[in-house]
Amino acid sequence: MTFFSELYGAYYNAVAKILAAAVQSPVTKEDIRRIVRENAFAESGIEIESAIFARWQLLDERGGTPLRHVPTTPLTHLQKRWLKAVSLDPRLALFDAPFPELKGVEPLFQPEDICVFDRFTDGDPYGDETYIRIFRIMMSAVRERTPLYVEMLAPRTGARKMILLPLKLEYSEKDDKFRLLAADGRGEVTLNLARVTLCRPYDGAPVHFANPADFAGNREERNFVLELTEERNTLERVMLHFAHFRKEARRAENGRYLVRVFYERPDETELVIRVLSFGPTVTIREPDRFAGLVRERLLKQYKF
Amino acid sequence: MPYQELIKNFSRVRAYLRQFYVYGFRSRSEFDEKSARSYDDERRRVESWLREYVSARRTPEGKNIYISVDSRRRSRDPLYRVWKTKSFTDGDITLHFLIFDVLYTPTAALTVTGILLGIDERLSAFPSAKTFDESTLRKKLEEYVREGLIVKEKKGRAVFYRRAQGTPLPEADALAFFSEAAPCGVIGSFLEDKTDERPEHFLFKHHYITQTADSEILCRVFEAISDRRELISVSRHRESLARVLPLRVYISVQGGRQYLAAYDFDMKRVVFQRIDLIESVAAGPVCGEFETYRRKLDGLAPHIWGVSLSGRALEHVDFTIRYEDDEPHIPLRLEREKRCGTVERLNANESRFSAGLYDAGELIPWMRTFIGRITEYHFSSPKREERFREDLERMYAQYGIGGDEE
Repeated sequence: MTFFSELYGAYYNAVAKILAAAVQSPVTKEDIRRIVRENAFAESGIEIESAIFARWQLLDERGGTPLRHVPTTPLTHLQKRWLKAVSLDPRLALFDAPFPELKGVEPLFQPEDICVFDRFTDGDPYGDETYIRIFRIMMSAVRERTPLYVEMLAPRTGARKMILLPLKLEYSEKDDKFRLLAADGRGEVTLNLARVTLCRPYDGAPVHFANPADFAGNREERNFVLELTEERNTLERVMLHFAHFRKEARRAENGRYLVRVFYERPDETELVIRVLSFGPTVTIREPDRFAGLVRERLLKQYKF
Repeated sequence: MPYQELIKNFSRVRAYLRQFYVYGFRSRSEFDEKSARSYDDERRRVESWLREYVSARRTPEGKNIYISVDSRRRSRDPLYRVWKTKSFTDGDITLHFLIFDVLYTPTAALTVTGILLGIDERLSAFPSAKTFDESTLRKKLEEYVREGLIVKEKKGRAVFYRRAQGTPLPEADALAFFSEAAPCGVIGSFLEDKTDERPEHFLFKHHYITQTADSEILCRVFEAISDRRELISVSRHRESLARVLPLRVYISVQGGRQYLAAYDFDMKRVVFQRIDLIESVAAGPVCGEFETYRRKLDGLAPHIWGVSLSGRALEHVDFTIRYEDDEPHIPLRLEREKRCGTVERLNANESRFSAGLYDAGELIPWMRTFIGRITEYHFSSPKREERFREDLERMYAQYGIGGDEE
């Protein structure tokens, strides 16, 4: 099973789409450029456009193709084995559409071949029928952009009833939980699916929802700067640990590095404890407010 | 050779990608292991593949190129694109589309000569039509048989080739989700490329895409586990070889690293290798002792906090935390994050965590996340306890804590 193969490449994919169009009717150079732009890379256009005619002989000069059928290829062993592995994932129960059967195909991996050792243990109940039903209603509403009536039980705020316009489903690998990102009348709402007790399509009187385009401001982006050294391999550990955030790193003096990490305001407490986890090999340089949050915890510890 | 956008070998770009994405502060002159021209080519490729995610910064040492992605705001991993850059010859691509046009349905079974005839017919309209010989075509067909695209059948002495049966693709949202959430998700992205549907209904929090560049190594590891096969792995850092039997893949969703848990035949013990540090792997023979060694790993697992077996004897560690009446989430957090440890509720405002571990040092970063609440701690290793205390002292000093004024 080849992994790095032109069979999965952007060029083969873009050319397949050009030929699929050309089988129906001749394609223009503008068609070719558009398809390449959508399916390949910044510099692919020149190469594909110059090669697809005389060199590859897949298009003639009028934009027709010698192919008689829309190009298709079966799935490779690699693709089937991955799909078979996915078919064993408990989260698949959330999706109600049929999944390919793949009889006689060996899965690329099985659940017992993997240990996610630092995932939280209170993940969502993917086998629970109520949870599955709620997930599917929400998935459908996200797809169709239709409003929902939702009741939920939150530990701090107690029971809540809401009419929401679902926008996206967010999955956290660390928490092993799904959250619904939605709009209500005032702005953005995030709710844990597992806390939802009732969910159904809303078909009552029209409701005003805040415009999702205005949410960027709600997700206020903040940042902090860490100063660190290579002591205890901290540089590599920090860069990998914060890899999923937007960040900028630069060298400072005396073998030190400064790393600016960008985050969203609701994640601040999590970031404070993640910084603490590195111990004395990192220090917050700015802003003072974030350094103050770290200091506050250290001071509390000092007083014990 | 003139610059080309596509590449033959992935390993060099894997190294560059890591530098541009994970670090992002090295300038051209610091990529000393490769020539300056090689750097320029790799940089240009990465810019072409990932244009909107590549930024540059001027520093006294020169221009730094870095990739910046906030993975929480993307429905798809942009780094998957780098796996779609394999180069090919003119003959490869022409043959590819013509073979499947001739064998357009699984019921069309033809010999090499028959397929060649179909190809020649299709190309005959070109003024100087390409021609392929039987051996070139047979080689391509055999390659596709190995990949599972073509099925080969013998009827008497004749060999017939036909396309493999089609497989329906999963529903677009399921495919989009697992392309990000399942291991080797780039394969799901290859499948998505076969469709015109690109729904963006999911976002991913705590989503590490660092390991995308390691997908092929991970895939080879899974193949070896599935076949119960030994592997020879070559480490990038030490440039050393190890003969191992892969047993399980350990994944960190809090640190973004993936590890291979394997039995090392030379060291005669279970080891953990970071997958991003494995340069290459080669499949070895099938091992009949897989279940025995996996049971060995299972026996060790209740005393491994993460991926370290550095100690020979178990170390004990315990610590107690305090919380207020209005902080019920704190003991809950201890419960859900305790892994192989034990949590004991001492009273309404205190809980104690304890564990016996082969390497208690692995637990310390997590223990520090409770700073501000730890009322007591004990390590069976006095050295470990001293280090924890000293680290706390250093942190107090860094933030100006200490002395009478506090």
